[in-house]
Amino acid sequence: MSRLLEATNLNAAYLTPEGREVKAVDDVSLYIDEGEILGCAGESGCGKSTLGNVLALTARPPLYPISGRITIDGQTISLDRENKVPRTWRGEVVSMLPQGALNSLSPTARIRNLVGDVMKAHDAKMGKDEALDRARDRMKELGLPPRALDAYPHELSGGMKQRVITVISTLLNPKLLIADEPTSALDVSSQRALVEMLREMLNQGIMKGVIFVTHDLPLLKSISDRIAVMYAGQIVEVASAETIADNARHPYSTALLNAVLAPEPDTLVKRVEGIRGAPPSLAKPPSGCRFHPRCGLVMDICSAKQPAPVGTDLEFACCHWTAQHPDQVIRVEDVLARNDEVEE
Amino acid sequence: MGLGRYLLRKFLWYLGALLVALLLNFFLPRLIPGNPVDALVGRLSQGGAGSDQLQAMHTQYVKEFGLDKPMWQQFFIYLGNLAKGDLGTSFMQYPASVNKLVGDALPFSVALQLPAILFGWLIGNLLGAIAAFKGGWFDKGAFVGSLFLSSMPYYCLAILLLFGLAVWYPMFPQGRAYSLGLTPEFSFTFLNDAISYWWLPFLSLVLIFIGGQAVGMRSMAIYELGSDYVNYGRGLGMKDSQMVRYIFRNAMLPQITGLALSIGGLVGGALITELVFNYPGMGSLLFGAISSNDYPVIQAITLIITVTVLMANFAVEVLYGFIDPRIKATQGGDKS
Ligand SMILES: Nc1ncnc2c1ncn2[C@@H]1O[C@H](COP(=O)(O)OP(=O)(O)OP(=O)(O)O)[C@@H](O)[C@H]1O
Ligand code: SF4
Ligand SMILES: [Mg+2]
Repeated sequence: MSRLLEATNLNAAYLTPEGREVKAVDDVSLYIDEGEILGCAGESGCGKSTLGNVLALTARPPLYPISGRITIDGQTISLDRENKVPRTWRGEVVSMLPQGALNSLSPTARIRNLVGDVMKAHDAKMGKDEALDRARDRMKELGLPPRALDAYPHELSGGMKQRVITVISTLLNPKLLIADEPTSALDVSSQRALVEMLREMLNQGIMKGVIFVTHDLPLLKSISDRIAVMYAGQIVEVASAETIADNARHPYSTALLNAVLAPEPDTLVKRVEGIRGAPPSLAKPPSGCRFHPRCGLVMDICSAKQPAPVGTDLEFACCHWTAQHPDQVIRVEDVLARNDEVEE
Repeated sequence: MGLGRYLLRKFLWYLGALLVALLLNFFLPRLIPGNPVDALVGRLSQGGAGSDQLQAMHTQYVKEFGLDKPMWQQFFIYLGNLAKGDLGTSFMQYPASVNKLVGDALPFSVALQLPAILFGWLIGNLLGAIAAFKGGWFDKGAFVGSLFLSSMPYYCLAILLLFGLAVWYPMFPQGRAYSLGLTPEFSFTFLNDAISYWWLPFLSLVLIFIGGQAVGMRSMAIYELGSDYVNYGRGLGMKDSQMVRYIFRNAMLPQITGLALSIGGLVGGALITELVFNYPGMGSLLFGAISSNDYPVIQAITLIITVTVLMANFAVEVLYGFIDPRIKATQGGDKS
């Protein structure tokens, strides 16, 4: 299997009106192999969407990329504050799939107009009819009614709109698709249809890899090959979906996912018990390990020194405790031990 | 089909509104206390006519205006005359017909306001859109300037302009619509003369209009610029020029309504501007008519205003039905 994405040392910050920088992506490195779906989890405000925007090259004020390199399928781009990126990367090399319930489609334009414009933006010679034919073929291949292209956005159901948006996002066969909570506004059957369609597209080679952001943890486990867990602007652990579910190597992953994903009958009890408190403000992150104010396994070193990643590019965790106890399983109860301290 | 039914329903609705307006239009002025014939005869009496003559005149006027008949009969006579396009006879400027008074005043109001509205709309929207796109100092300057202009009362700017460009630095003549001694006609001399008087009131209107439109368009465009579909379009690698088209289409919708309604209201005249500049338009005519209980003139003008405003509203709804697909769907009920 060959490497699809190599993103190294990505940094990006929001510039607040007072002129301060809020670093929402802090020295993040991320690797994806061809054919993979990488799930991305983390509490609200941990920087998942921001990371998605940086990777999709769609950062715009007040969000500024600061530094980092992105290599996708052999093509490399360096990030800087100037944020001058080749326009045609977007949509062709990397594309984004937003949540369809947002107003991602202009209410006064038919879907086919957007299709024509997107194609034309990347191939000036492409005529409207040709663009539309291609979109129709794609719709048919995926079992969607081509008629939907003639509709206005409000005429489509939520599930259909999300699938049409998915088709538009992948019209140009982008290498990498970044899906930011695409299912969060859908009912269960529409969710399943979308997820199946994404798999199908990946199998057909329409795109070579997907980053899938979601808060729906069962869905996350079922769709992801690997899962990246974000906390306070950093990736604290990446591992295969099974590892994350059964034997996560970072206390935060355990607290966030283990209780929900473990298939044992007693999950009902655990499910109720989640981690209390909230992620820290990114304007002033805690020293050392950013999770230390909430972590039940905290040690003296944790607030002093930032833990380095232990593992490989594709599977690693950043935690002092795990580094010191490589063979020990993290127990949820231990991580949540400090729940009593935190006021709900 | 949905759109047709939608339009028909709207049309009937507006027809109903017109009928109600006609009724109100006829009866309301008659509820104003004071009999206009008394006033008219009273004015004549200052000419030194004897009391017998006055009495006779009074009876004759009452008869001529049909004021001796019951109200409902007067109303039907009024409707009948309207159908013939006859707006009646002015009480105060007897025997001038209302048609003539309106015919004299309307061209001045239209000539003054139509260009002001069109230019103001065009320039204001462009300015607002460019300010939103460019941002930075251009935006700040344009925004503050527009806000200042648009919140200025009409008379204030009018008086400032009068003082600045007619008194202090006399670029333009002041105080009327054309030079004394000329009569309105389609001749080069007259038009040339009238244009020099036209500039000041035109400027006072157009500047305020530009300001208002620019402020509105700017906030609409900024809102649209931050919207999800712009983000998504950029994420798909679309060109800025393509995005601008989408943004414009959405930001324009409310502005079109504003334009149509301004044009519809135009026939009422620009009251304050016309008074300040002593301009013989519909505003001045209406103002004079109200102060002298001149029913036929009041009625005629309010009727014309009602009809044009209703027509403009109807035009907006028809237009919206065509350009905004959401309305077509919700009103026509043709969801697929
Ligand atoms: N415009 C902004 N100005 C300043 N800070 C911002 C801005 N937008 C987001 N942030 C900060 O960036 C951080 C990351 O936000 P982001 O939207 O990426 O989180 P997320 O993980 O996608 O959350 P969610 O799960 O709710 O979508 C947040 O902590 C937020 O405070
Ligand atoms: S043990 Fe220390 S390093 Fe590991 S998560 Fe807890 S606080 Fe962070
Ligand atoms: Mg998000």
